[in-house]
Amino acid sequence: MNPRALRYLDWVLVASTVALVAGGAVILYSATRTFGDPWSFIRARAMHALAGTVLLVLFAALDYRMLARAWQPLLGLTVLLLAAVDVLGRTAQGAQRWIPLGPFSFQPSEVAKLLLIITLAKHLDGHREITSWRQIIPLLAHAGIPILLIVQQPDLGTAMVLIAIFIAMFFAGGAPLRAIAGMGAAAAAVAPVLWGMLHDYQRKRLIVFIDPGIDPQGAGYALIQSKIAVGSGQLFGKGLLQGTQNLLHFIPEQHTDFIFTVVGEELGFAGAIVMLALFALWLWRAGTTAVAARDRLGMLMAVGVLAMIAFHVFVNIGMTVGLMPITGIPLPFISHGGSALVVMLAATGLLLNIGMRRKRILF
Amino acid sequence: MDYVPPTRRLRILLAIIAALLGVLAVRLWQVQVLQGARYLQQSEENRVRDYVITAPRGVIYDRKGRPLVSNRPSFAVAVLPLELRRKDEVLANLSAILDLTVEEIQEKITANRARPFEPVRVRRDVGPRIVTMIEENRLDLPGVIILAEPVRHYLHGSLAAHALGYVGEIDEAELAARREHGYRQGDLIGKAGVERAYESILRGVDGRLRMEVDALGRPLREIARVPAVPGRSIALTLDLDLQRAAAEGLRASGQRSGAVVALDPRTGGILAMESLPSYDPNLFATGISSSDWRRLTTDPLRPMLSRAISTAFEPGSVFKVVTAAAALEEGIVTRTSTFHAPGYFRLGSWVFRDLRAWGTVTFLQGIQHSINVVFYNLGYRLGGERLAAQAKRMGLGELTGIELNGEVAGTIPSPSTKQDLVGEPWYPGDSVNMSIGQGAVTVTPLQVARMMASVANGGTLLRPHLLLYAFERDRAKTWTPPVAQRERIYTTPALAVLREGLQAAAERGTGRASAVKGLTIAGKTGSAENPRGRPHAWFAGYAPVEAPRVVVVAFVEHGYRGGLSAAPIVRRVFEAAFPPPAPPPAPEATP
Repeated sequence: MNPRALRYLDWVLVASTVALVAGGAVILYSATRTFGDPWSFIRARAMHALAGTVLLVLFAALDYRMLARAWQPLLGLTVLLLAAVDVLGRTAQGAQRWIPLGPFSFQPSEVAKLLLIITLAKHLDGHREITSWRQIIPLLAHAGIPILLIVQQPDLGTAMVLIAIFIAMFFAGGAPLRAIAGMGAAAAAVAPVLWGMLHDYQRKRLIVFIDPGIDPQGAGYALIQSKIAVGSGQLFGKGLLQGTQNLLHFIPEQHTDFIFTVVGEELGFAGAIVMLALFALWLWRAGTTAVAARDRLGMLMAVGVLAMIAFHVFVNIGMTVGLMPITGIPLPFISHGGSALVVMLAATGLLLNIGMRRKRILF
Repeated sequence: MDYVPPTRRLRILLAIIAALLGVLAVRLWQVQVLQGARYLQQSEENRVRDYVITAPRGVIYDRKGRPLVSNRPSFAVAVLPLELRRKDEVLANLSAILDLTVEEIQEKITANRARPFEPVRVRRDVGPRIVTMIEENRLDLPGVIILAEPVRHYLHGSLAAHALGYVGEIDEAELAARREHGYRQGDLIGKAGVERAYESILRGVDGRLRMEVDALGRPLREIARVPAVPGRSIALTLDLDLQRAAAEGLRASGQRSGAVVALDPRTGGILAMESLPSYDPNLFATGISSSDWRRLTTDPLRPMLSRAISTAFEPGSVFKVVTAAAALEEGIVTRTSTFHAPGYFRLGSWVFRDLRAWGTVTFLQGIQHSINVVFYNLGYRLGGERLAAQAKRMGLGELTGIELNGEVAGTIPSPSTKQDLVGEPWYPGDSVNMSIGQGAVTVTPLQVARMMASVANGGTLLRPHLLLYAFERDRAKTWTPPVAQRERIYTTPALAVLREGLQAAAERGTGRASAVKGLTIAGKTGSAENPRGRPHAWFAGYAPVEAPRVVVVAFVEHGYRGGLSAAPIVRRVFEAAFPPPAPPPAPEATP
């Protein structure tokens, strides 16, 4: 890495990332301090943040063009990891998502997000223009195989993240609009079949999203309770560590998928908007990085990361305020979960990498 | 460098993302600021549980301060409908522990639909075994709680059951009428007897306990407590000793049904009121089981019916007191008037029979030996209208005004009403029949007791009552004053003859079996023929004759002869009221 590149380092992106991780740790403490040892989640968070920072530096330092050169082995690794979950996987809440790794365990589906961004960017970069089905079908297979493997874990949320990443990169990569529209039509056509393939609890989640009152003590419970928690924060919140719904565990998964309810309840609308603004800042820098990238490969990678974080933020927060159905998608940098944090930080590193190696002046 | 960034497409992507973030911001504003107050309230409802602390009802004492009805601690199993997660599973578990069907539990929950935050009591008064089982299986029973609550305890079981009454869960109609008095679904309310009559005194004010609970409904912290205010206690005019004597006497009669009423002729206070067969009000205290309820309500002897006030019977010869009083008041007889009593009384082609021929007797002998022919003569000469008027004056055929519900008036026929009721004219024979308490005359034992009290106290008809005094909040006592309903209903000379005759009857005549050594007693027996079986046995008397303090009426349904089966019951009660070195029952103090 040369000094010229460091001059282009996006300090705003770094600062917003640091603010999100640090603020997230505070929120995580509030959400988990009643779970036995009040500091155990913070110790884990610190370790994951440290590991994530190492990866961030690594992903920032290694030229992304070199990283992408090995896209085919990386794609193979992605598929292998996802397939391994079935064999080695540890089950949690009815889904196999973890692979043990010595004393640790990690979620291949989180890693798959970043690997898909890198490999798909390189794959798309191979085509100046996307015009024929001969190009499109391998691209669909490229994304489709990992997605199908994740769907059968089952981890519908992550599969949707991958779909969002694919569509965004496909679009930015110059795919014909006809192809995108065709894919949409095909998705609509197979929707009834997919509905039949869903697990009962997944179907219930979608039904109660339409009407949570159908099952207020069951599937609709989290949806109702998270809205109550967020709404009860009102303008300025009940105060940090003062959220009764948080403290009394009215929200299931309040430290992972529903951690935003703690922000909403304890810090109110003001706090929620500050957090939303930090994400907006981060996404704006990601968008800038994509626009300013020196080449198509960098632009595509940046779009992938941008789409990933944006989708996570919208679906996660949207779920806590009743805009989206319940899916197990964590809030980036905030939710408890090591694999996700490490991958998000690595993805940030990738963005810094692309940004540092831009040539042209920012608009 | 031939790379040209797809600026347009990137801008579209960024615009979509910006729009999505904007949607989130607007939605947050809507949920947190516009609807925030509502969600804040819901979050409080989530967090806060109000429990009712059931106030114990007031204790019911007898006139000497001995408890008749009190409360004992108990546990009830209840469910919180809003916290019944995995309802089917929980109800199945609960059904196994409580030995109730899932449907029965579900029914109780459904009945309480309107107040989902209130605990629904599924089973009251469970034993320690069930409490332990529920606590041990706490995690499999979310939404199930144990409530501590007092349970009504009738210390003497079925004794005085009809007077004391019982409590039960408030029903729809009662709830509709009393909602503004703070009654709620599942509350216990006095259903009968004193429990019902003095509900407003006995009922306390439930307290409230406000707890902070977690998502599983486990109470964590007390937020506020409003202590329960126990109901006020009352003392009844009943005397436990007399009540026991009455019950034992009734049982000892060997008959299946009957009633005893004892009262203080100076105040109208009821000293004993027992009805046979009886029931155990404790069965109702925790919600009566359907099998017990069926047993009580289908029993042909109708044990829940008070024979003292809720059924009217033919009085038979007890009615001769009315006939005698009327004849004396009308000046038709004096104590020495003589009658020819050949064993029958002929009226046209009708012959009214007597037990035996007595020859020539005096009016006093007529009362003493209950000689029908004497009264046939009097009845014939008085006529139905005057007999009926005298009966009414002496309080027969009308409600006595006792506090209890379910009292019946009985009937006193008269020439003017017979035409209206039956559509037949009054025949002279009707007057003859009526003179000995036959025909359509029906009265309640309590009416007879009140009537005898008026003879005993010199001519005042007093309202019979059960409440001696009620405790105020400061433990001061509010006494029930005697209520005179009608005064001077006899002239002094007539009363003197009547009393003399009744004393003769009790001590030397038909009522000899009521005699107590060292006690002067006046009274009248009765054997009332009735269309349903053997004659009813009556005895109505008072003692001591010089200064009457106790009136006792015993009635044995189909007891055959008043002198045989009713008089011994009265003797037992007198013995209890005037024990050998006897302190008499404490008079009701007047403030």
